[in-house]
Amino acid sequence: MKVQLKQLSLGIATLLMCHSAFAADATTIPRMASGVPDFTGMWAGPGFQHTGTEVDNPTAALYDDKRMSPFKSGADKTFIRTTGDVRIDDPTAVCLPNGLTRQIASPYPQQWVQTDSELIILYEYMHFFRHIPLGEPNRAHAPVFENTYMGDSIAWFDGDSLVIDTVGLREWLLDAFHPEAGGSRWHSADTHVVERLTYTDGSNVNYEVTIDDPSTFTTPWTQPWAMQRKQTWKLFEFICEDNNRCEAGVCQAADVQLDDQ
Amino acid sequence: MRNMKNLLAASLLALCPLAASAHHSFAAEYDAANPVAVTGTVSKVEWRNPHIWFYVDVKDDAGKVATWGFSGGAPGMLMRRGINPDAMKIGDEIMVEGFRARDGSNNASGGKVTFADGRSVFTASAEDVVPK
Repeated sequence: MKVQLKQLSLGIATLLMCHSAFAADATTIPRMASGVPDFTGMWAGPGFQHTGTEVDNPTAALYDDKRMSPFKSGADKTFIRTTGDVRIDDPTAVCLPNGLTRQIASPYPQQWVQTDSELIILYEYMHFFRHIPLGEPNRAHAPVFENTYMGDSIAWFDGDSLVIDTVGLREWLLDAFHPEAGGSRWHSADTHVVERLTYTDGSNVNYEVTIDDPSTFTTPWTQPWAMQRKQTWKLFEFICEDNNRCEAGVCQAADVQLDDQ
Repeated sequence: MRNMKNLLAASLLALCPLAASAHHSFAAEYDAANPVAVTGTVSKVEWRNPHIWFYVDVKDDAGKVATWGFSGGAPGMLMRRGINPDAMKIGDEIMVEGFRARDGSNNASGGKVTFADGRSVFTASAEDVVPK
């Protein structure tokens, strides 16, 4: 009995520790004048191994297949694609976009600008951006006339958590997963993405991404990630086409190599 | 002081894990079955996107010089690791290990660089893949 009580106490203590590790001290959270959390700033997203300093290690994050729900019948064949065509196996190698789900996990910084009515996210990688209106929870999206790489996003606050809801995504890459022989993981055009961001302290944010892709998976599933504020970082230019010298495996000679031709 | 900065950058590089996946997969451009290792003199460094490139003049036994190009990480990725453009300079003597481009040209993914003073660093190439 004593042992059981001890185990119960330990379990409760562990739960409390986990909870307290997740929830931020409310006084440390940057806030707008309205009182909602303010996410304005430069961030190292999930595509970094966060160090707590201004030097981080960029490493593209992959969605954990152990967190994914079971495939719909036959969907495993459309989820992983290995074709030998670089435009399918690795579209970014020819400077096509990441798309939202891969961009979230990209090893490049992002700058967030928040007002009372909108949130702007500027991604360094390929200069993508998101303009996200803030408003009432679970309101309707604007009509989607054409599915796009970044989709249509709206956002609201749920207590101290920011919720970003995205639909209208085109069928595209899930992430930067590349089997050794090439290939990639894909989501469908039915995908609905919910990002839920919650400060864990003044500089760190728990960043949960829920993938609801009913054409591929039996149920939605959630990937827990994190992002960390960087005080001294700024966005750099990133022009993919600038010097992509060996695009698709065919290299252009540089000026210093011309004499070798 | 500059040497100290370079040493710091090299130390940071050496600590970096090997999987970085910056812009594209390794397989899109390089041949894992074709490792290369060359020793020579840095003739040019391009600190440009989507990946830096550095060029190495390599002499063969007959004294003929060929210029090899090696791809590294994106400038932004390197700088967020604390590595600045002066980490490698024209005239540096280096050995580079990597994998040759799929087209068989004198271009490769530059996975690892060893300087004349023995510093051995990773270039944070898109793949950070080095021959085993």
